[in-house]
Amino acid sequence: MPRYSRYRLKSDQTLELNLTPLLDVVLQLITFFMMLVHFGTKLEGATKTARLPIAAAGTPKSDLGLDRLVVVIDARGGIVSGDQSLSDRASEAWWNERAEKRRRGAELIGAASRDLPTRVIVRADRDAPYGEVRRRLAEARRAGFAKFTLVVLRSRK
Amino acid sequence: MNSRIRTRSRRSKTEQSKVLFPVTPMLDMAFQLLAFFILSFQAPTRESRIDLYLPAEPQAVLQSDSAKATAADTERGTNDLEIDLETELVVHARADDLGDLKTLMLGDVTLDNVDVLSTRLSRYREVVRDKPLRIVLYADDSLRYQAAAQIMGACSRARVETIRLADAQAQGNDR
Repeated sequence: MPRYSRYRLKSDQTLELNLTPLLDVVLQLITFFMMLVHFGTKLEGATKTARLPIAAAGTPKSDLGLDRLVVVIDARGGIVSGDQSLSDRASEAWWNERAEKRRRGAELIGAASRDLPTRVIVRADRDAPYGEVRRRLAEARRAGFAKFTLVVLRSRK
Repeated sequence: MNSRIRTRSRRSKTEQSKVLFPVTPMLDMAFQLLAFFILSFQAPTRESRIDLYLPAEPQAVLQSDSAKATAADTERGTNDLEIDLETELVVHARADDLGDLKTLMLGDVTLDNVDVLSTRLSRYREVVRDKPLRIVLYADDSLRYQAAAQIMGACSRARVETIRLADAQAQGNDR
């Protein structure tokens, strides 16, 4: 006689699985993920090339819009494009190229304007010289970009 | 009285059937939801943003709800900036040899740090109320972007509408 027969259920007994703790845990998990689903999502273009500055920024309210251009500025102040770091004439040409593409697209749909509607998301390294960052923004302005978003890390204060 | 008790006890003995709650569909749905939220979950981040509007004119607008109201005003050009002196403040940021912030000045007043700038601007914001508050930032080119971002963040917190990123060296040359 096998040993497990001792634990065999009698004919009138039914095995009932207690699902209450399982349901509790599952609903807790759902609540947790639901609370965090729209909280603190990263902007696109996150890269380890640029270590973002830590600053206390006000709560942004404006919508980022559909047309976005992510720009990474490295610690030397150059625009990161592939493996290259572009500055001065190269970066100016880079901005102009991107602006020209967008301008052509805007003309095709008949929505051409002086300032491009593109939002430029600037991910600049915290060690980059301010002068270089300002120059990159000035180049972008000259190319026709007007809307910028500087990405920073919230300070803990 | 006795008869009532008797009927009740009789009922509890006779009614053997239990009310069954079908948990299976609920569990199915719960697991579906759980799977959806786990797959679409992104870890919380400390990333924040400072929105700037930099038109062809040399001025930048920190975009906020109140800023939208004054957007037309800022688009009129730089003439207003020169006339409306009490709402235009100049911030000077000087860097040391390592590029760290050495001196921070709001107008002619030297400030200890960026927090003091933020506090002062917030107080100034309350004083000027609905008037558009404008900042002209003169910072050394060698200043690290970290410090510049903190200054711009302080302006953003104080709901400054306009910030102009001016060339400190050009200003020095003019003098």
